[in-house]
Amino acid sequence: MAEIVSAMAMTHSPGLTGWFDRGLPAHQSLARGALAEMRRRLTAARPDVLIVFSNDHLLNWPINNTPEYTVGIAAEHVGPADWYDEWLGLAKYRVPGHPALARYIVNEGARRRLAFAYLRQMHFDDGMSVPLHYLNADSAIPFIPVSMNCTVPPIPTPERAYQVGTTLREMLRDFPGPERVAVLATGGLSHEPGGPRYFWVDEEFDQWFLGLLAKGDRDTLLRECTLERMEAAGSGGTAELLSWFLVLAFTAGAADVLAYMPAVAWRSGTGFVVWNELAR
Amino acid sequence: MGNVERCDKTLALNEMIFYVRRDPDLRKRWTTDLEALAREFGLSEAEWTALRDRDVRRLNELGVHQYLIPQILRLFYGASANTNSHPALEAYKRAFPEETAKAMALQARLEGTR
Repeated sequence: MAEIVSAMAMTHSPGLTGWFDRGLPAHQSLARGALAEMRRRLTAARPDVLIVFSNDHLLNWPINNTPEYTVGIAAEHVGPADWYDEWLGLAKYRVPGHPALARYIVNEGARRRLAFAYLRQMHFDDGMSVPLHYLNADSAIPFIPVSMNCTVPPIPTPERAYQVGTTLREMLRDFPGPERVAVLATGGLSHEPGGPRYFWVDEEFDQWFLGLLAKGDRDTLLRECTLERMEAAGSGGTAELLSWFLVLAFTAGAADVLAYMPAVAWRSGTGFVVWNELAR
Repeated sequence: MGNVERCDKTLALNEMIFYVRRDPDLRKRWTTDLEALAREFGLSEAEWTALRDRDVRRLNELGVHQYLIPQILRLFYGASANTNSHPALEAYKRAFPEETAKAMALQARLEGTR
């Protein structure tokens, strides 16, 4: 029986590594402080494995065939993908995987009527590489990447992500092993990568969303943070928050919003969140 | 409906970018032999023209997935130090001046209060 020991969420914008120094000095120091606190709490939770939920930016699957969920089942993960290393300003990293748990997710998911595609070798861009750089730089924690489709229509709904998170939570609990599991959502907040509003950040939406997390008001989130509302706050990017909805299903109560910044220079509303209480 | 929901999933250019990004040989041909490459991937005349002209607005209107447009620009202009003043991003500002002006006003306000 695996145990969930930590649940967190963060922005993964490439600017956080690729051109961090172009952020406002105040934003840089907020981000540094929040990431240090996330690292501290993650270490304190002593996880055996870190499952990261992030969207595939059309890197692992071509647009003619985009699975809703994909699990990386490798014994070792290598990133960033060629060409992305230069963009992200990151050297290549190697992180151990957890094939037993990753393959369990694929197979047990199927038995519970959830389709998880899988890849033996997954390619990594900002979605996984930025969080790994800040939270698992020494590759000490084995890692399972789970990518989600948040950007190719039809984009799944927040309700769906929450439901998948609920099933995953139950599945992990039934895993025949003593693993201590940390879950991390990456993506968001408001941004519109490559759209007409590429440089825009919707501060009002972001504050509203984070405010509800800080109050622990998941009913309002699930009712009012619709796909339409996320698209209005930044098309094709804000819906990366679907990963946050998935991880929300692992939690209970209020979250600590460690920091928020409307970081135009990093082209994304940027936030860092840790939950104190986990779902029973 | 958001901008991304208006993309044309069946556009040949949307497939082409996926393969070019992952393959160093195709990335090289992008800089030396782009027209032939575009023909091999079956781009329409309209797709080819918009691509050749690096016409951000037209690419978006044709239904190129919005996430792939900056990738196209990075293939042309390079991938490092992709800040808001990078040539690839300047092309965006020219294509969408109104939307960009709003964002730059927000940036100016943030800088004023730091």
